[in-house]
Amino acid sequence: MAELELALRELGRHVEFPPTPDLASGVRRRLGDRRRMRWQRPLVIALAVLGVAIGAVLAVQPARTAVLDWLGIRGARITRVEKLPPAPALGNLDLGRRITLAEARRRAPWLLVPSAEGVGAPDLVARSAQVPGGKITLLWGTRRDVHLLLTEFRGEAFIEKLVQPGAKVELLQVDGSPGAWLGGSHVLMYRDRDGRIRDDTARLAGKTLLWQRGAVTLRLEGDFSREEALRIARSTR
Amino acid sequence: MVVSRPPTESQLVERARNGDETAYEELVRAHQGIAFRIAYLVAGSSAEAEDAAQEGFVKAYRALGRFRRGAPFRPWLLQIVANEARNRRRSAGRRAALALRAAEEGSSGGAAPSPEGVLLAGEERGQLLDAVNGLREEERLVIACRYFLELSEEETAATLGVRAGTVKSRTSRALAHLREKLGEAHG
Repeated sequence: MAELELALRELGRHVEFPPTPDLASGVRRRLGDRRRMRWQRPLVIALAVLGVAIGAVLAVQPARTAVLDWLGIRGARITRVEKLPPAPALGNLDLGRRITLAEARRRAPWLLVPSAEGVGAPDLVARSAQVPGGKITLLWGTRRDVHLLLTEFRGEAFIEKLVQPGAKVELLQVDGSPGAWLGGSHVLMYRDRDGRIRDDTARLAGKTLLWQRGAVTLRLEGDFSREEALRIARSTR
Repeated sequence: MVVSRPPTESQLVERARNGDETAYEELVRAHQGIAFRIAYLVAGSSAEAEDAAQEGFVKAYRALGRFRRGAPFRPWLLQIVANEARNRRRSAGRRAALALRAAEEGSSGGAAPSPEGVLLAGEERGQLLDAVNGLREEERLVIACRYFLELSEEETAATLGVRAGTVKSRTSRALAHLREKLGEAHG
């Protein structure tokens, strides 16, 4: 290295830079803020994105796709449509890789597991990497005969739930967090961390309780009453 | 016995990619010093550098899905931060270029003597810094990146948004200009 270059290096050690501020804490805060903001992204944008994603699948009358409710479950909302996209057979469910409950807790420290009496330990635990951050499914029963299905993920954007006319939608609270109780079949769509729309079609013809705890979105499906679903939901730890 | 090792950078990147904000915070801590200095050089003020670096880190997090696995993380990150700083500077309108200053003698007494043994007297250091400050901005930046921040050619290219070949040619032009200026000063 020539003398001038060495001199420049040496000079560099004496050049004054302002002290580096603590960026890490600010960035961390911003990531949290951004997540909250994304939940509240204007409806219009969400609808436009969704239109592209499912327009080809659904033959819907525009008036019917109007959003009925802007739920309090952060960005979740429910849309009534004429016809649901076809759901895959339950036996073909892509739940991801089967793992132990302990491993699920390790991979997803945010995981909530019901402790209600009579529920017991899940018979099957699976993790799918389809959603960045992972989606965990807890299943009671067997894949062919599902008694209870609990799906959890740390979705960022909105959840879109499509329901057919006649489906019952009730807004409620689960331990102070907003939730929704749905009767009848439905389709769940959500936007993942990369902004892609994901379609997570209805698994069960049963009923669904959808709620949010912190950053975690939970969906409990089964053939149960509203009170039973709430009892299980409230017991998740 | 299981000895837990601190995670490697690529492990942290992978975790952050999967939404682990704590892992990303660690990455920010590891790189905030160099990112801030680059933003300071490019944006020209401490306040804007802070904003630009923070914004750059947030944008990089959002863009992690596009980060090529196994690629070096730092140049990729520095590119995003430098872009942010450039945009800020542009939107704030052109200002006089930042004049770098050397620390007062003694205040940076902790600075280790250079291993190369080239120790400049205070006066010579001042002359050299004046010469650097007198360069055209693109040459001043390439000198600051290569010699003051000791970035590699690749990192300098990413930071300045140019090809590695351009970094080479710009550096040698800048060095030639410095020699001229110093020659004049001594002449």
